[in-house]
Amino acid sequence: MENIQLLMHGFAVLFTVQNVGAMALGAVLGLIVGAMPGIGSLAGVALLLPLTYRFNPTTAIIMLGALYYANMYGGAFSAILLNIPGDSPAVMTALDGYPMATVRKRPGQALLTSNISSFIGGLVGMVILTFTGPALANFGLRFGPVEMTALLLVAMTSIGWLVGENPTKGLLLTAFGILLACVGMDTLSGSPRYEFGNIYLLGGISFTPFVIGIVGFAQVIKLMEERSLQVKAAADKLTLRGSMVTRHDLKRLLPPALRSGVLGTFVGVLPGAGATTASFMGYAAQKSFKSEEPLGSGAIEGIAACESANNAAAAGAFAPLLALGIPGSGTGAVLLGGLMMWGLNPGPLLFVNEPDFAWGLIASLFLANLVTLLIAWGVIPFLIKILSVPTRLLIPCITVICVVGSYSTSNSMYGVVVMFLSGIVGYVLQKARYSTAPVLLAFVLAPMLESNMRKSFIISRGSLGIFFEKPISLTLLVVLSAIVLFTAARPLLVRAGLLKSKGAGQ
Amino acid sequence: MKKTSAFVVLPLVLAIASPLFANGTKEAADSAFKPSKDIEWFVSSSPGGGSDIYTRMISDIMTRGDLSGGQSFLVANKTDGGGEVVRLQVSRVAAGAQADHTLLTFNSGDLMPMVKNTANRLENFTPIALMAVDKQLLYIGEMSKYKSFAEIIAAVKGGAKVVIAGSKGDDVATYELLVKELGFTQSQIAYITNDATSGAITSILGGHVDLVISKPAAADQYVVAGKLTPVLALSKTRFTGNLAGAPRLSELGAYKDVEFPVWRGVVAPKSMSPAAVAYWSRALKEVSESAAWQSDYIGKFKLQPAYMTSSETAAFMAEFQATYLKSIGK
Repeated sequence: MENIQLLMHGFAVLFTVQNVGAMALGAVLGLIVGAMPGIGSLAGVALLLPLTYRFNPTTAIIMLGALYYANMYGGAFSAILLNIPGDSPAVMTALDGYPMATVRKRPGQALLTSNISSFIGGLVGMVILTFTGPALANFGLRFGPVEMTALLLVAMTSIGWLVGENPTKGLLLTAFGILLACVGMDTLSGSPRYEFGNIYLLGGISFTPFVIGIVGFAQVIKLMEERSLQVKAAADKLTLRGSMVTRHDLKRLLPPALRSGVLGTFVGVLPGAGATTASFMGYAAQKSFKSEEPLGSGAIEGIAACESANNAAAAGAFAPLLALGIPGSGTGAVLLGGLMMWGLNPGPLLFVNEPDFAWGLIASLFLANLVTLLIAWGVIPFLIKILSVPTRLLIPCITVICVVGSYSTSNSMYGVVVMFLSGIVGYVLQKARYSTAPVLLAFVLAPMLESNMRKSFIISRGSLGIFFEKPISLTLLVVLSAIVLFTAARPLLVRAGLLKSKGAGQ
Repeated sequence: MKKTSAFVVLPLVLAIASPLFANGTKEAADSAFKPSKDIEWFVSSSPGGGSDIYTRMISDIMTRGDLSGGQSFLVANKTDGGGEVVRLQVSRVAAGAQADHTLLTFNSGDLMPMVKNTANRLENFTPIALMAVDKQLLYIGEMSKYKSFAEIIAAVKGGAKVVIAGSKGDDVATYELLVKELGFTQSQIAYITNDATSGAITSILGGHVDLVISKPAAADQYVVAGKLTPVLALSKTRFTGNLAGAPRLSELGAYKDVEFPVWRGVVAPKSMSPAAVAYWSRALKEVSESAAWQSDYIGKFKLQPAYMTSSETAAFMAEFQATYLKSIGK
């Protein structure tokens, strides 16, 4: 009850013209920044941060919070309409979003599904955050290197089976992603690996240009190839009404969104895990539930599961940030830097010393979530017009976006080179019917797995026993072996089952 | 939103008005350098980190104190190649206006990987000033098995193994000195490198490691909240305030104090003109003497003020580089 009172107090703090204005501005900027491939929430928050030094801290963080939040909505737009993820969590959204918009010809519904799921996921995350804030943060702390290693092993093992129809290709691509992630300075000792004397490679392959290239620019090459034979089916349902979801759609959307909301919140709290891991886990979890259409073919459940998880994670990430001063993601780290610039000391005492600020921020997340939903809903009719843009215009436009996006991550041509090269790789993979999502996921997860695993071994002095001593990691290892054993045994089981049924039939 | 517009308009007005003032003072400083275009200030680490805050703090004080000649600072974070790319780029800027308007944030954590992993050396830059020195402490967490550093020394002698978590670069160097001074091996007291101190603090709050090494700023709030307790000052003098309880190593037995000062400085391209070097060195001196710097940076983040002029800085950094190169056998 006390928390509800504090939250209400937070709303009271929030409702000044200045704060609401800042929030709306943050939400609009966040949508734009999120929808632009390459400029993720990290860059968005970092770019806006200097502008807010002169604000009072509450107003500033409300604006940045809204931007961070809206960004999670925006990332899905280009993923659904162009198959170019606006940010890394949207990699998963593209898997079902793009087929739903193009193959199933329901772009409006795909966007709306993503918006509503984002809203639900965010809401679930914020409710959990409001009631359990510090406890939630403490839960995250229990995931040390050992627990994270076990969790990541489960995630990485399942990539191949989850995405695409062929597990062998999936495994191969996972390995390829891990290999690419190894380039650059080793995370623990700082020794150079696979840098071939090149100073740029020393810093590793930057993720954003890599994603833009392998998904976005590969798409451009594909468009060029098909431009003559493709007859654009004009999207005829361009109105707000035409993009409404049906009651049945809503029924399909709700269970995965709620499930992923809870799951995503917890993943968001874990140190360093972030929204990409959450959206992947949400999608992975959905695989074990029933979906009306198979995942990957444009299923509403697929979009709902990952969009909800990714927004919930964004909310969850605020728990360690506010309760302990620990950033759960890169964006969190920039926000943390901001807190210090505004003269606030982030840390365990923030809730005690600056209740106005902390609860004002949480209240603003609630409101930003609602405002963003409405704004995003309103722009859908305009957005889906993108689909009716002729390919000959679309190609140069997307190319420009790809180049700008990959340049802006590190302000150098290195990003652009990475983008073009990975674009070619992505195109070749597509041609050979390999899905690019496993490469991207492995690329994101591998460095985390490596550093956590090596830290675990430092703690245990090289003993594997440590993974079995801790209850959380033991549980996760049981899950891992279940996944592996089940997959290995499935053909045998099927055969055994078939034999049995045949035998029974005769 | 009014505040933003004032924030945008004010520098514009200043920029337009500054030539008027410049005319009045022309005879006083005819040959002296004065910024005539925007200043590009590079930071080799991400926004929001320690070096970034340091840079923005200085540029902010300079802009407010009219030390930038009415020009703006364009702070650019370039992290390619672990920062080596931008360091190489700055070292190669050709002489001229560009060189006189380029600065680079540079600390011991930047110098060490640079000379270790690349052929780039301090000699390719012009040191402008040294601003502050940071030192570390060791802390225990609420869940730590040990309550004091003396207990830890005794436990390790008795065969126990201890894990310290910390950040990169200078924290690792301090840890290595400490282990050497104690006469232990790096497997008796192991070290876990994190991307930033916040990661190390996360792992000790969760009880996954025994000790954490941190500069006072990053650990401050956790000490106030009672979640971290300082147990060893890695300094030749004890710290003050709520860190005063931590003993130096020499107080715990027949050891010498272990200290590895982390300096924070500013450098420029080798080709910067002497007039510009003098200008920036003087401007940074004024920053170091300003009340804002003393209270909002040095005081707040518990650093030690350590302003040095360009030539003093050059000598200091050169000695540091020589010692470090020797220590890694290069």
